[in-house]
Amino acid sequence: MDNLLSEGLTLMVFGMGFVFMFLTLLVVVTTCMSKLVVKYGPAPQLKAAPSRAAVPVAAQVNSDELVAVITAAVHKYRS
Amino acid sequence: MDKLLDLWFASGIYNVSGGQVVMIAVGLMLLYLAIRKNFEPLLLVPIGFGGILANIPEAGLAFSAVENAVHFASPELLLSFASVLGISGIDPHDILQAYHTANASTHAAATLLANDNNFNNGMLYNFYSVAIASGAAPLIIFMGVGAMTDFGPLLANPKTLFLGAAAQFGIFATVLGAVGLTSLGIMDFSIQDAAAIGIIGGADGPTAIYVASLLSPQLLGAIAVAAYSYMALVPLIQPPIMRALTTEAERKIKMVQLRHISKLEKILFPLLLLILVAMLLPDAAPLLGMFCFGNLMRECGVVDRLSDTSQNALINIVTIFLGLSVGSKLSADKFLDMQTLGILVLGIIAFGIGTAMGILMAKLMNKLAGGNSINPLIGSAGVSAVPMAARVSNKLGLEANSQNFLLMHAMGPNVAGVIGSAVAAGVMIKFVG
Repeated sequence: MDNLLSEGLTLMVFGMGFVFMFLTLLVVVTTCMSKLVVKYGPAPQLKAAPSRAAVPVAAQVNSDELVAVITAAVHKYRS
Repeated sequence: MDKLLDLWFASGIYNVSGGQVVMIAVGLMLLYLAIRKNFEPLLLVPIGFGGILANIPEAGLAFSAVENAVHFASPELLLSFASVLGISGIDPHDILQAYHTANASTHAAATLLANDNNFNNGMLYNFYSVAIASGAAPLIIFMGVGAMTDFGPLLANPKTLFLGAAAQFGIFATVLGAVGLTSLGIMDFSIQDAAAIGIIGGADGPTAIYVASLLSPQLLGAIAVAAYSYMALVPLIQPPIMRALTTEAERKIKMVQLRHISKLEKILFPLLLLILVAMLLPDAAPLLGMFCFGNLMRECGVVDRLSDTSQNALINIVTIFLGLSVGSKLSADKFLDMQTLGILVLGIIAFGIGTAMGILMAKLMNKLAGGNSINPLIGSAGVSAVPMAARVSNKLGLEANSQNFLLMHAMGPNVAGVIGSAVAAGVMIKFVG
């Protein structure tokens, strides 16, 4: 009976230890892989995404400026 | 009149035993839960129906040729079985006992004797041998799960793997609980049984079935039913534990937007995982190998047809046979005993401990990092149960702060939990298999 209990305890300690060790290694390996890929890998999608996101913002700024310029011009013309 | 009597003696009403009536009722209850309450219907419908089929009196759908032969046999045939199995008595019970413990060649001889006398394996028994005893069905399902899994959130925040690891504590704590009950003399589980019960806490159906089929096939029915029922109950079991272990302020923590993950990273990840498994834990290779294969098919982008098949058509076909095969293990003599009750209780404890440890790990990581970068609610998603557990995290996050969307953040620990429970399964198979 005690034998069974100690077997269970061993399984718990080793099992949990192994799961943590394995996943820690996976974290390390994955982080390294990601860093390498970001540094050396092709990243066309990375650049495409922000530029696409930037377009509407830029357009908005432009139109704001445009409105300001037109308003100023109208004011000047009317005065 | 004789013919009428024959018909009566062959009828289900005459032959049905009390246990079979109870098990048919259990099967109907599973169908009710699946159809009316929507509890994992994709699995509980086939399991419930299989359970009813397995308990039809005299049909012997879930029994092997020898078991059927012994049930119907004349005394002369019983005598020849006894001589094949090398025992003296012709008590059917003793014969079956000897049959179950016999080595492979005696097993085959007994089966051939049954076949010679026109007895065959029941349909469900055949399904079980092909789908589960061979290990095929859970592994094919794991491939499909791999093909459905997006590792993006995990790759964006690899630290969440620790949450998936912590949640596996439920598995091992339950193993200890099961052997503890045995030591106290309340239950009678071997270390193999205990390991197979513990894996319910991994909240991963295919993994639980795979481990149970290897370590303790006689408990498979109860373990599979417990695993799938509790997965369906995740939205009820987890929230009270999550609320108890977190403060309002912690639940409101907002997490930073996940970074973009390139296609190359997504292709490399399953390969890295596979290499790591191959180097460190070959016993987990069947499960994680199929998982990585499915995921590679999804991410590589050149075999969309295969990826589509494995995450739709194939996984559906296999699910049907897996469900029916699990149902075949719900026969009265194997299901109706104290062990099943013990498994159900231990299973839910495993689930609770896993959830709690995931949350506590998240809080610990916040403490160590000295900041508030992780919302502890996503820790509970570390018990696989994809994607239900992640949805629960999201729901509780929204309750605390209606602008707090945790779903994608919770998918990280969620898929980490799948990897974690497969690793834990490998360790179990290695140590006690």
